[in-house]
Amino acid sequence: MPRTWTDMDDFEAFLDDGGIVEVDDDMPDEYRNAVFAFIEMHANSELMGGLTERDWIPRTPGLRHKMSVLAKTQDEIGHGHLLYMVAADMGIKTRTEMLEDLFAGRSRFHNVFHYKAHTWGDQVAIAFLVDAAALASQQAVFKNCSYGPYRRILKRIISEEGFHMRLGEDRMMRIAEGTETQKQIFQDSLDRWFWPALQLFGPDSKPNDVLLRWHIKSERNEVLRDKWVQKFVPMLHSYGFSVPAPDLSYDDETGKWDVGPIDWEPLKRTLAQGGPDSERRIREARENWERTAWVRAAMEQPDTVGATT
Amino acid sequence: MHTYEIFLKKDGRDEYRHAGAVDAANDDLALVMARESYIRRAEGDRLWLVRRDHVIVGDRDFVSPNADKPHRHHDGSAVAARRKASREESTS
Repeated sequence: MPRTWTDMDDFEAFLDDGGIVEVDDDMPDEYRNAVFAFIEMHANSELMGGLTERDWIPRTPGLRHKMSVLAKTQDEIGHGHLLYMVAADMGIKTRTEMLEDLFAGRSRFHNVFHYKAHTWGDQVAIAFLVDAAALASQQAVFKNCSYGPYRRILKRIISEEGFHMRLGEDRMMRIAEGTETQKQIFQDSLDRWFWPALQLFGPDSKPNDVLLRWHIKSERNEVLRDKWVQKFVPMLHSYGFSVPAPDLSYDDETGKWDVGPIDWEPLKRTLAQGGPDSERRIREARENWERTAWVRAAMEQPDTVGATT
Repeated sequence: MHTYEIFLKKDGRDEYRHAGAVDAANDDLALVMARESYIRRAEGDRLWLVRRDHVIVGDRDFVSPNADKPHRHHDGSAVAARRKASREESTS
């Protein structure tokens, strides 16, 4: 007999009491759908992020960094695998259905993967700013996530994302110590990526956000975003870079930075697959999926092509 | 395709722990998929794979009968109270 609850109040009391939901529990449909949608978007983002990372393997300067980009690419694709498995087990869509929806532009992935990385400096800015933002969001979910299978998988994802963030900071320090041209290239990258990274946290959480009420997220979007601002604004300044916020101000009394009003239109466009690089990214991911059909066919029927060990 | 549950053991003191699952067509490919998805950074040095359809699941009601068997537990509080009382008696 699966674990059941009499009604939503009973279920919410269980969650408020720190209860952890498992895959074979008879959870309310609203909860199942909300958790599934959240994990699916996370999985999609890992996969799209991995494909972006892969674009840079041939163009990464230096063998050591090239090797680390290979490792990071495998990590991101691996995270996609892990998360699609957890999502598929919820019984709403199969992994293939999720991938087909992604490549047809029917499902969402994070805003930052709707932009183009123009230079190596952009890759450094992404690894530094975006990976830190993604890690902070994931940590806030891991901290108190009521869905057990997701929480357990997040633990290993977070440890690997920490590796990515340290790589990002290492690369940023090298650029900060580089020539004037290198510094200028990186400043341009910061100017392009600061706002998309900040918007990764999303607009202020609504009072009735079910992800908060059902203990999927443990912290409001605006709180996480503010923590990121308080950490990264002084850090960028300390390395000699400026923050592309015309209304940036510092409050002597509270000791806090304020980036000023945030324009959420770019985020909304990416969520509707209308970002600056959305079309190319989705198309290339789809073409990659089609091109690699023979690999999947071989993996699914290895005995017919003699591919075992 | 089959779904395989993955169990990893980190060192001699720990037990095998469930790490996740992979889909694969056969045991050999499942081993490769498990290693590449879950064991890239010394997360374990021993690996068990079990096909999900071979896992025998105990019903929750069958597994959790202990709530009505308090005689299997002793939290020590009664003994501690008596010990404390006798200590106070001897010092007074």
